[in-house]
Amino acid sequence: MSLRLKLLALGLATLVLPWAGCRYAREMESALREGELNSLQAVSQTIAASLQGRTDLLYREALPADSPAAGLTAAATSPPGAAAAPPAAPAPTGPATPAATTSAAAAASVAASAVSALEPLGPYDLAPLALTAAPLIDGYSDDWPRDPAAWKTFSKDEQHSFRILTGVYERMLYVLLEVHDEHPVYDAGGRNPLDPASYGDRVWLGIEDPRGGEQQVFLASTGPGSVSARRIEPGEYGEQSAPLEPRIRGAWQPTPEGYRLEIRVPLSMVGNRFGVLVDDRDARGATPVSYGTLRSDDLRTLGRLIVAAPELDTYLAQFMQPGLKIAVLTPAGQVLARADALTQGSGLGRETPGLARLYRRFVDRPGERQLIEADAQIYDRDHLQVIGRLEATQTADRWIRLRDHALTRMLNFTLSTTLVAVILMFAFAAWLAVRLARLRRASESALTRSGLVTSFPETEARDELGDVARSFATLLGRLNEYTSYLRTLAGRLAHEIRTPLTIVRSSLDNLEAEQVSESARTYLARARQGSERLNAILRAMGAATRVEEAIGSAERVDFDLVPLLNSAVAAYRSAFPGRTFSAQLPAGPVTLHGAPDLIVQMLDKLIDNAVDFSPAGSTITVRLLAPAQRAVIEVDNSGPPLPAHIEGRLFESLWQSRPDGDSRPHFGLGLYIVRLIAEFHGGEAAAQNLEGGGVRVSVRLGALIAR
Amino acid sequence: MKRLVAIVEDEAAIRDNYAAAFMREGYAVRCYANRVQAMQAFAARLPDLAVIDISLEEEPEGGFELCRQLRALSAELPIIFLTARDSELDAVSGLRLGADDFLTKDLSLPHLLARVNALFRRVDALRKPDAAAEVIRRGPLSLDAERMQAQWDGQVVLLSLTEFWIVHALARHPGHVRSRQQLMDAANVVLDDNTITSHVKRIRRKFQSIEPNFDAVQTVYGMGYRWVE
Repeated sequence: MSLRLKLLALGLATLVLPWAGCRYAREMESALREGELNSLQAVSQTIAASLQGRTDLLYREALPADSPAAGLTAAATSPPGAAAAPPAAPAPTGPATPAATTSAAAAASVAASAVSALEPLGPYDLAPLALTAAPLIDGYSDDWPRDPAAWKTFSKDEQHSFRILTGVYERMLYVLLEVHDEHPVYDAGGRNPLDPASYGDRVWLGIEDPRGGEQQVFLASTGPGSVSARRIEPGEYGEQSAPLEPRIRGAWQPTPEGYRLEIRVPLSMVGNRFGVLVDDRDARGATPVSYGTLRSDDLRTLGRLIVAAPELDTYLAQFMQPGLKIAVLTPAGQVLARADALTQGSGLGRETPGLARLYRRFVDRPGERQLIEADAQIYDRDHLQVIGRLEATQTADRWIRLRDHALTRMLNFTLSTTLVAVILMFAFAAWLAVRLARLRRASESALTRSGLVTSFPETEARDELGDVARSFATLLGRLNEYTSYLRTLAGRLAHEIRTPLTIVRSSLDNLEAEQVSESARTYLARARQGSERLNAILRAMGAATRVEEAIGSAERVDFDLVPLLNSAVAAYRSAFPGRTFSAQLPAGPVTLHGAPDLIVQMLDKLIDNAVDFSPAGSTITVRLLAPAQRAVIEVDNSGPPLPAHIEGRLFESLWQSRPDGDSRPHFGLGLYIVRLIAEFHGGEAAAQNLEGGGVRVSVRLGALIAR
Repeated sequence: MKRLVAIVEDEAAIRDNYAAAFMREGYAVRCYANRVQAMQAFAARLPDLAVIDISLEEEPEGGFELCRQLRALSAELPIIFLTARDSELDAVSGLRLGADDFLTKDLSLPHLLARVNALFRRVDALRKPDAAAEVIRRGPLSLDAERMQAQWDGQVVLLSLTEFWIVHALARHPGHVRSRQQLMDAANVVLDDNTITSHVKRIRRKFQSIEPNFDAVQTVYGMGYRWVE
């Protein structure tokens, strides 16, 4: 793992910031949620308190005249226009009459404020649904809520039954009636609606009006479609008339089982009691089978209608705000009224942008409810009895948006911090890596250059890397001193040995001038041979130094390599008759700026080397190439391949790999001199084994001079 | 009267060996171990030829100093540097100080004697006012083998003994290539190729100081040099 990657990983550790941010956002969200819940709780408590004792609103029961709460709540909560009239409306009429007549027993046993509507639902009681939209009066049930539990079924026997669904929407009571009738019979219609001969199937509505009086309305259809209602009016002479009741609208549709009747009754007509009776006739004018929630003999209502005052909706509406839903329920859980603005936008701004939506994924726990709910009990005037329940539901919209807003800003900030940190760290790592690489290159090249370390990078830096570089520089400086000592050792050694050798040789020279015996002369000759060899060794030891000196003082001229190589190869042919020389030279001139003497000297060493290592009679090829405006001299011989271990050391000083038994002194300087001369010309030397056997030494020289 | 050869050499064994060889050749020899001794003696009497080592006892460059002082005493006195040092720089400095030859100690005694004899011949020849000398003429070049003196267009080119012999060997047969070995033999020296190269370089430079377009000494790469007219 490179330094760059490590620091990059370290930079990624700053991702803990956004992570912590997400955690924080979650905490914040919980706190917000808690706060919202509390305030929702408070709101519902407040609304519930404002509804305390308001049975007139909840159940359309008149308030007792002496109720202190009545005036108070009306004054405190009267919304403009909505609640001004309703509380006042039932008050002037005698409030005691209906309560006394309908539920005298309950009123007697419980306190004066007891609410008759709170008695458990009897079999004939109807509790309309709080509808969310007005059903179209067309005789079809598809715009009603699909809630099987809300239906109530009344039956006479196997063949005679109907089920009824009631609902309230905006001051209207809606009734959906599905009657099981094997022989639906339409009314004859037309003439007198009270003529018994014209009677078909009829549906009676028993309505207790707000004043306590009972009223009977019947709907009789002469065909599918809209049906009108007629109310029974007692006439002056005991006669009855049946004028049209235009406030009630109905629609009649046949069904496979019988017929369906959809009715709309204004709530203003309806008091606390309401009932339905079905007259099922099998033929026109026949005796009907009557059943339902009206007494079949006098059509008095049997059951109550548990429905809130229409003003309750208006009353609740004043508390509405987007994203809030308030519902008032009976203690049993039936919805009396609701105001719903859950789906409305909160007005806190447009839908969050894509980035925020992405962030939200980090924070949102799956399956978490996005709604908060609170409820509060509604008590009666004396705070003794629970008369209803208030449920408030609020969408998470408000705090989610608040949270998203904060989250987006925070994540934007921390992520950009991370990004900057990562970029900075990466750049820093790259910079460090560059410095280290520079150091590494310098230290690598420092040692290969025969100890010629001149300067070392990064020694000016004030950090630890600078310290390392400085100690490297010190180390290399010492190494340099040592290597230069070693390098000059040969020369110095040669110099020191030369003096005693001169003593030996001059003594031998003198001895030859003396009279010595023949046998002594043999030894003399051997001593001379030995001293000559010693002399040759000394000369070879000094050769590298002399070449370096020669290179140092060499003058550069422009010269053509082709005639130079030609003449040199011709010379080698005569100098080494045991080898065949082949020169492969380009036709045109190859002009180089350099020292021709040194080039020839280099060539001498290359040829010497090639001759030494190639078998007698073999061919040595000298080739001059000029690829890419650089001169390359190659010398191929067919000698044994280079051992793998000497690669790269071939051109070092005092290194050689020669077959044993060579008596000539060698110090491995030949190819070192080649290298020195190649470097003088801005090039380098390399050796490689040839595929077909043999070795190629190639010397790359500097750039050619353009003609 | 025997010619007096002065040997200034701090190594006693070498000094004595050289002294023995010179005496065998019929020279009178005086030996000195250091510069001060030598200068005192030279102040009293100049030798006919001086053989000087460069490093003398405490003075690593004492020979150069001695050469300069000696040259101040006499312009004609032949001076030979005989030293263990073989660097190009030393040779150049020695010859610039007016030495007639710069030899390394690996030269054999017979070679040394041959050079000394040659130098004396030159001195003698120079002293003879108008000797019917053997003179080689090659264009503007005239080589007086007796006096070991080279002239270009009548101007004397100051060559050291080795340089003179190299020019002589080349100019005797113009156009013929002389290998480095042949030049070494002619100059009675055992040198390596680089030393020959630098000798040739010096010869060219000396001629070029008189004739800037001098290019009579030509390199034949891989073989040697030749004189071109």
